[in-house]
Amino acid sequence: MLLKKVKIRLSILLALSVLSVLAIFLLFKVLEDNVLYFYSPSEIKNSDEINLKKRIRIGGIVKQGSIQSSERDIKFIVTDTKNEIIVSYSGTVPALFAEGKGVVAEGNLKDKKFFVAKRILAKHDENYMPPEVEESLNINAK
Amino acid sequence: MRKINYIIISILFSFLFIILYSSLDNERIYNTKDLIGKKISQVEINLFQSNETINTEEFINNEFTILNFWASWCAPCRKEHPNLVRLSKIKNIKLVGVNIKDNVESAKSFLKENGNPFDILAEDKNGKNSVNFGVYGIPETILIDSELKILKKYIGPLNIKDVNEIRKLVKK
Amino acid sequence: MLSNLGNTLIIVALLISFLLVFFSFKEFRTNNNSIPGKIYKISLLQLFFTASSFIILLLAYVLSDFSLANVYENSHTNKPLFYKISGTWGNHEGSLLLWINILVLFSSLFLFINKNKDKDFKILTLLFQNILVIIFLIFLLSNSNPFSKLFPIPLEGLGLNPILQDPALAIHPPLLYVGFVGSSIYFSAALAALISKIDSQSLAISIKPWVLVSWFFQTVGILVGSIWAYYELGWGGYWFWDPVENSSLMPWFVMTALLHSILVLERRIGLYSWVIVLSILTFTMSVTGTFLVRSGILNSVHTFASDPSRGLFILSFLIIMVFFSIYIFFKFAPNESKKYTIFSKETFIIANNWFMIFFLGVVLIGTLYPVFLDTITGSKISVGPPYYNLVLAPFLIPLLFLMTSGPNYKWISHETKSFFDLVLVLSVILFLITFLLIKESSFLLNLILFFSIYLIIQTLFDFYESFKKKNINISRIISHLGFGLLIFFIYINHIFSQENNFNLKLGEIKKTDQYIIKFENLEEKSIKNYKSIVGYFNISDKKTSITKELKPEIRVYDKPITITYEASIESNLFSDTYLTMSNISETDVFNIKFQVKPFMNFIWFSVLLLSLGGLLNFLSRNKNEKN
Repeated sequence: MLLKKVKIRLSILLALSVLSVLAIFLLFKVLEDNVLYFYSPSEIKNSDEINLKKRIRIGGIVKQGSIQSSERDIKFIVTDTKNEIIVSYSGTVPALFAEGKGVVAEGNLKDKKFFVAKRILAKHDENYMPPEVEESLNINAK
Repeated sequence: MRKINYIIISILFSFLFIILYSSLDNERIYNTKDLIGKKISQVEINLFQSNETINTEEFINNEFTILNFWASWCAPCRKEHPNLVRLSKIKNIKLVGVNIKDNVESAKSFLKENGNPFDILAEDKNGKNSVNFGVYGIPETILIDSELKILKKYIGPLNIKDVNEIRKLVKK
Repeated sequence: MLSNLGNTLIIVALLISFLLVFFSFKEFRTNNNSIPGKIYKISLLQLFFTASSFIILLLAYVLSDFSLANVYENSHTNKPLFYKISGTWGNHEGSLLLWINILVLFSSLFLFINKNKDKDFKILTLLFQNILVIIFLIFLLSNSNPFSKLFPIPLEGLGLNPILQDPALAIHPPLLYVGFVGSSIYFSAALAALISKIDSQSLAISIKPWVLVSWFFQTVGILVGSIWAYYELGWGGYWFWDPVENSSLMPWFVMTALLHSILVLERRIGLYSWVIVLSILTFTMSVTGTFLVRSGILNSVHTFASDPSRGLFILSFLIIMVFFSIYIFFKFAPNESKKYTIFSKETFIIANNWFMIFFLGVVLIGTLYPVFLDTITGSKISVGPPYYNLVLAPFLIPLLFLMTSGPNYKWISHETKSFFDLVLVLSVILFLITFLLIKESSFLLNLILFFSIYLIIQTLFDFYESFKKKNINISRIISHLGFGLLIFFIYINHIFSQENNFNLKLGEIKKTDQYIIKFENLEEKSIKNYKSIVGYFNISDKKTSITKELKPEIRVYDKPITITYEASIESNLFSDTYLTMSNISETDVFNIKFQVKPFMNFIWFSVLLLSLGGLLNFLSRNKNEKN
């Protein structure tokens, strides 16, 4: 009688743990497929493995005097003081987007010099710069 | 069973907290060590309220130069200002203040209210030049020697400890 | 002057809190049957002093007293009074003071209102709650003092970021804080219950109103936050799965689970330990959320200015709190024997809990994963909305189904069998009609649609039934109806939303599939503290030839110099037309974002309905108590 109870309990426990391992595995699989990696222009230049199909984020500073508007889109250059990348975007930008300010853009890379952004990310604070950008600038200031 | 649960849960949380704790370590983000010993870039900066410019090359004539980036709209700048006044009393340092993206009148009244510690006052109306110095936000302060090498860079407001550190650095 | 007064009040409040902890501790396990009057008096005094300190800060903001660094940094003399007031809690220091006020308020309310006879339970709850108060007061004084003085006194303040000058944003933090911080009282009560060993029923009765209140405020707070994001951020979205939004959603999941578990605990012995775990978890999630938001380790659109020493303090507090709770739990938790019949109401409620905990896990992993990866490997990532949608959506189906059949389980088996079928038939018909209108091909999305309709119809029938019988829980029906409608309208909104991005010059026309957009005029205005550039757009629908005038704005504020883009939203009952413009190159080309978003008002309404259920339950409960 007691043995039976223990058996049932054990099998439930086993089933549960298998299920949760499976669930966690699947969860991380989905997670891995849907994360957006962040790169600086220099990282893009130096890396061979960036998948052009995958959506990524890039960041740096909007180069002074580089913003151009046409009927189709806006183009501007993102720089990390070492390397540059041209970004094309259509739509409105967040309020704090300006030349000489930090920016993070989300979209796809066409080639190592050209990026098509789907979204430009907004920040609230004048004194604030996205930490990722800050860090990549530090590395490239060497 | 209970004990095992207890241990497992404790370990799980410990792991979580260790990660969170190490993510707090902001050294990674604000690390300025890489900059030390590098030469500052050659930049022409406008003098405050004038058409003249000054080239960073000219700092060669000073034993030590401190570049401070500030604005009247920046709250931490107000906090660090008394420390800049302290620094201005050290004789072998020339203080260069770069006023960023500021309203001229409020910048003037800021210095009137809090004192003007700067030997040279420069301005950067659109924040363009500051980018050349690798300035991300304000306030930031760069200490350079007569060879134009960066001795130290401070991100955020200077505090008393920083002032003492600078004192030591320029004594050597 | 105000600074000194504020500081004094805070210090006195801290001393009183120590006194309260001391007396509570002394009172624990004495032979007295009731709590002595002096504890009530001290508690009132504590409430008085903390509330006054908050009023002083409020006053400093209203009077623009720039000798306070906090006021200087966040206010300005020519700011409208409403935003001067909301400036009080619009920053870290002020919001922390508000946080403490809520802690103290809940502590006193619990002491005065709770009718539990067990003195040890009450006194211990008070003890734990006031330890929390002390910790946060020390945090405030040592690290985040809103009363810090500034000398020399500046003549003018720096102003509040214009993006933050919005009525929805001004009121949503206090709402969320009542939710967040309100959960502290049942955290304290749960620990007290373990030690004083009160029975499960009286625990359930003791904490239920507090859970309901915090859940209600949390729900409304999330709603108002979403409304703000929709109107002010100018992207036309209302939920971004942003870390800050996630950290308000995570406690909500646990609260929802707790709410349902308490329903079981009220009537049966089971789930005692589980309710305790959930109570502890709710507040833990609230503090974790606060940590993530305030420490600056996450990259988000809603950042508070970050400061690592703050993060360290909150993290240390979190660590101590969690390990202390774990210790208390394992030392005192009773051994329960679980006896359930499989097809009972309890099973369904426990199923709800599994879903909520699963949702919590998904959101928690999504939020923390970037932090982990950055720390361990150094690569920078963010987790996008597709992850959440992909993982959460399939699980909505069983959840919706359980929400439909669960509550009625007892009734189904006998009298209303035919009724059940009628509901099903009606749902299928309605689903087919919507399906033909939408022609969505995704199987998963269609299932979600069907089950949300099924839930809506079922709850509407229940609603009708509840007029005949008295024993049906009306608050449950309203909340579940709200949830069903929410999913339904999010779904419809998702499918019918349109978005077009393009650039236009003045006088030009853009044709999309359904609309003709004409850029008619441009006007510059000077208003009190900003300059405004207003665009006049004429939108006409090709099919119906209905025209609309939209007037998006670009605002240039001077203190601090900030540009904001004000979306122009034409809101009808069934659809919102949404247009923003910007001009970043400073040429004559304007960047336009044009969106059509159906049923936005219905989404807001559904969440309101959801929260209303909680409120009704709270109110009806109080009525029952009086009778």
